[in-house]
Amino acid sequence: MSPTEAARTITGRQPQAVRSALAILEAVAAAGIGTTAKDISAELRIPPATTYRLLNLLVAEEYLVRLPDLRGFALGRRAANLAPTPVTTPTAARAVMERLRSRVRWGAHLAGYLGHRLVFLDPDPDHPPVDAGELSRHLHASSLGRLLLAEHDDEPATGAARLTPHTVVDPRELAGRLAEVRATGLARQCGEFRAEHGCLAVGVRAPGDGRLVAGLALTGPAARVAAPNDDLVEVLRAHAAELGPLLA
Amino acid sequence: MRARSPVAGLRRRELGPLGVLAQSVATTAPAGAMAAVPLLVTAAAGRDAPWSVAIAAVLVGLVVASIAVFARRMAAAGGLYSFTAKGLGPGGAYACAVSMVLGYALLVAAALVGASWYARALVERLWPVDTTAVGVAVVVVLSAAIAALAVRGVRLAGRVMLVVEGASIALILVVLVTLAVRAPAGPPPPPLPPGGLTGVAAGVLPAVAAFIGFDSATALGVEARRPFASVPRAVAVTAGGAALLYLVAMVVHLAAPAVLPALTVVGPDGGPGAAVIGTWAPVLLDAGIIASFGACTLAALNTLVRVLFSLAREGVAPAVLGRTHRRHLTPAAAVGLSVPLLALPPVVGTLAGVAPQDLLGGLLAVATVGFLAAYLLVCLAAPRFLRRIGELTPAVVVTSWCAVPVLAVVIVVALWRSAGPLLPVTVGIVVLAAGAGWVALRRTHAAQLDGMGVYDETTAADLHPADRAR
Repeated sequence: MSPTEAARTITGRQPQAVRSALAILEAVAAAGIGTTAKDISAELRIPPATTYRLLNLLVAEEYLVRLPDLRGFALGRRAANLAPTPVTTPTAARAVMERLRSRVRWGAHLAGYLGHRLVFLDPDPDHPPVDAGELSRHLHASSLGRLLLAEHDDEPATGAARLTPHTVVDPRELAGRLAEVRATGLARQCGEFRAEHGCLAVGVRAPGDGRLVAGLALTGPAARVAAPNDDLVEVLRAHAAELGPLLA
Repeated sequence: MRARSPVAGLRRRELGPLGVLAQSVATTAPAGAMAAVPLLVTAAAGRDAPWSVAIAAVLVGLVVASIAVFARRMAAAGGLYSFTAKGLGPGGAYACAVSMVLGYALLVAAALVGASWYARALVERLWPVDTTAVGVAVVVVLSAAIAALAVRGVRLAGRVMLVVEGASIALILVVLVTLAVRAPAGPPPPPLPPGGLTGVAAGVLPAVAAFIGFDSATALGVEARRPFASVPRAVAVTAGGAALLYLVAMVVHLAAPAVLPALTVVGPDGGPGAAVIGTWAPVLLDAGIIASFGACTLAALNTLVRVLFSLAREGVAPAVLGRTHRRHLTPAAAVGLSVPLLALPPVVGTLAGVAPQDLLGGLLAVATVGFLAAYLLVCLAAPRFLRRIGELTPAVVVTSWCAVPVLAVVIVVALWRSAGPLLPVTVGIVVLAAGAGWVALRRTHAAQLDGMGVYDETTAADLHPADRAR
């Protein structure tokens, strides 16, 4: 039976299988990197064949990974979605944001990325941003979301919702916008999320490997966001560079 | 843990489940096989032919189960030989790699011959002229097209293969069933003789041969989006679907034995049945079979170049074969080097006037032995691999014990019952050459041989963020 077929046969009427799968996830999390199928089977007293099948299923779904020796297991990238680590924003980063807000008259927000979710690390108290959950559901329509999508270019850009008449939903056009973001490092959106608003965002990157850890966004009236705003973008980039070492 | 996968350079984790399935289905080419299997198997097993197909399907099922043991646990570009390496070590991996390269290379050549043969037949049905030039042109154009598609990437190739193979299966099913239902009203043909036990056993070989290639999705492990789910499923669905199609074709053939021979006799007059089935059906059927052969060349080439790529990355094959296209991220060097070589035998054979059915039959017979040897090795490797990683279950041991001896018998029968000395001699030469190659490599490339079996290992980026730093 393939893992997906297994997933289909384990219905809500088989609570034991679901319970066992969750117990296995928990056991791997507790044991740390390198625990083996035998260890898990012995610890949880689940029959070996069942344990192996459930482990393969969890690996196929990427909640677990098999280590290079093929014996050991560890939590996979996808398991991070189950329990997002609570976010705290260092005081030094808040200070940088305060400085940015004193220099521009737009709303300035700092948002972090957890897997494919977006959470506000330091939203502008004077210009409250839209709900982070709503932003996470429509990553294609916001500049903070597009930074994230551009980073994971494997993400299929289908099924994008049209939030305003200006929202880019055509997969090819959206791919073009994302390529632009990758090339310039700047994401821009005018009236695509809320008709009257727009935003500019640049990535905050880890100093060493350059991975995306957060996004720094300025929000304002759509018409003004559409202007080149070269000076503003420079200010934004300078502050993002300053935030990198504080957040990574 | 490595920071970078040893098979980096391919487009990692991108291909959806349908593309993975298309690869296996197109390599197996059930559309073409459906037209040939009933005739070949009934020739051996008579009226008991469905039993031969059923036994072959069960045997293939055991191989599928053994392949799934690996495909659920590792994602490789080398397919079966990468799997075998983890159970049997370098010796088994080398033998499996040779079998696979032989099998897939000859399958590409055979499918090129098949496409050109049926294209010639199609032209001859419409205009009775000498079609040698047509045959050569089809091989050249098709080779160029599959080379371009293989370099362009498996995503596009998968879509092309899925459409082509789906259309040809539908076409052949419709033609077969329609004709069988509207069977000629003349005197019923004499019933086929029963095949008996020996007949059924003899019919298993052509029936198993019709399945070869169902494993080819395993070479897309690196490129599949969720390989541990999509690869084993593609292999199982292809084998199961093919079994069903062959059984249907078989039943239809037994119910109306006059239809299939009349359809597939290659010639301008369409054989004795032409009067009752008209002229449209053979043309449609030929078109379907040409398309199926075309998709098969592309799919088999996709797997062949990934096996060569993987061997090159291990240092066992020349490093140039491991180069990938900078933009399309496909083993482009292997495509460029292998396609001209593979197109050569069909072109030379056609120009020399070798009958296409003999050329196709000869190439397929050797390819089949290669595939069967690879299947045997992977079945042998599965329980050893599981014991090594401490996940052995009794079911896998039983599967292996059932499959290995039967596959060995089928291989021996294939060599024993072949029409002439050509097949055993060819296989003997390959075995000797491979043995000599092994001795030579052992002396100069011992470390590389021991490192066989590279696969797309878990890298730090695949781990839970909290574990990455450790």
